[in-house]
Amino acid sequence: MVDSLLAALLLHAPAKKTIFLLHRLAMEAQGASARAKASKAGMEKLGQVQKMYADIRHELVDDQFWRYQQQVSPGLQEYIEALSFAHFLEHGGLITFEEVQRTLCGEDGVPYFPLTISDYLLGVSDLTGELMRFAISGFSHPGGSKEALDTCIFVRNCKADFDMFTPHVRYLHKKQAVTAQSLAKIEDAVYTAVVRTSEFDLPPEMLDALVNQVVSSYSGGSGRENDDEDHPSEFYP
Amino acid sequence: MDPQSVENLNQMLDHDSDIREKIKEQVNDFEKKTRVIIAILSKIHSTRSESIPSLVDSAQPALHSCRETIAVIASLVPPNQFWRWKDMYCNSLRTAVFAAALSEYLTQGTLISLQSTSDMLGMQEEWKDRVTLAAEDYLHGLITLVNELSRLAVNAVILGDFEQPLKISAFVKELFSGFSMLNLKNDTLRRRFDSLKYDMKKIEEVVYDVSLRKLVSKDPAPKLNVN
Repeated sequence: MVDSLLAALLLHAPAKKTIFLLHRLAMEAQGASARAKASKAGMEKLGQVQKMYADIRHELVDDQFWRYQQQVSPGLQEYIEALSFAHFLEHGGLITFEEVQRTLCGEDGVPYFPLTISDYLLGVSDLTGELMRFAISGFSHPGGSKEALDTCIFVRNCKADFDMFTPHVRYLHKKQAVTAQSLAKIEDAVYTAVVRTSEFDLPPEMLDALVNQVVSSYSGGSGRENDDEDHPSEFYP
Repeated sequence: MDPQSVENLNQMLDHDSDIREKIKEQVNDFEKKTRVIIAILSKIHSTRSESIPSLVDSAQPALHSCRETIAVIASLVPPNQFWRWKDMYCNSLRTAVFAAALSEYLTQGTLISLQSTSDMLGMQEEWKDRVTLAAEDYLHGLITLVNELSRLAVNAVILGDFEQPLKISAFVKELFSGFSMLNLKNDTLRRRFDSLKYDMKKIEEVVYDVSLRKLVSKDPAPKLNVN
């Protein structure tokens, strides 16, 4: 039994790494097709996590899942966060409850264990924090401010929708407070971009080109891509 | 203790917990309703100013439906026990005040009064000793309004509405000067009042940004007469 608990704890790490991978790929990539590619790479990495869940499924059959739910929950939420981020990059929307459950099924279509609504909601709530980083670090890319605005609206809708569930899900209240902060940060960033853009009487494409020119002249020799993937602070401006 | 008094005390406690449970049920309902309203009103941040009135209208049925819940709570509270039970529902009540005040500001551009908020929520004079809208709860709702408006100022600019921050700034300044005249005791309301200055700072910055870049057509500040 200790094995399964240990495994559940270990599941935290690959999911977290996937999130950093997605951030890095999404930043290097430009355009929808590249985002889809980043998402695909993320999904592949998450395949490892799915395999680990498949490996411990026998420990979590029937009521055993509820017995160890407390131990499984954090890793599972991290996994859902990574999965929803990959999903967002490719489709631009929120992954559904059923879609998440489907990724945790064997080839015979039988779920490894029942996904709880609480884990789903808490997992996708964390997505808003990742999207804040994603939106803010995206500003130095062509089309970044438009993307940030879309992300902003998406996060705002998430917050409004999740609000309805807060009385029913424990801890969601706290996550909502964090979401509100992330949302305000994205709003402030988009606002700054809008205000500054107004100083130039140029079409958005030309502004993008201007930004791109400067950014690419700096990023050449920095070697950032070799940086350790475990430094979240890198994503803050 | 003799058995009779134990019995009596038990009965009284049962009676109280009975009331508590019944009120709790209504408070849950009230909370659900206010969440629906807030979900609708949170869309103001991504709605262009011309569609805001219809958005606000769509939230009104839910806001009016709070009256029924409040009326049921009033029927459950025993006479002269307003203060005893108010903590159970005051959070929802403050949210409802906020929704009413935001609706009023967005449609009329004015500040809703305590009396009209109270009327809007269907408060009856004869319940005064059981359920009423206390000044404190009304003021809490107004502070939430300012918190929300500081975000709206930012988001209006994102949507290209450069007039809104100026309107908000004038409105909030007036509201703030009204608040400063109140003699507040040292409680949560006073602390929340203190936080208003950060919201004002934020709004001021937005006004500064749009005025400096001449994004608004007319000069908002009265010109200084330099001789």
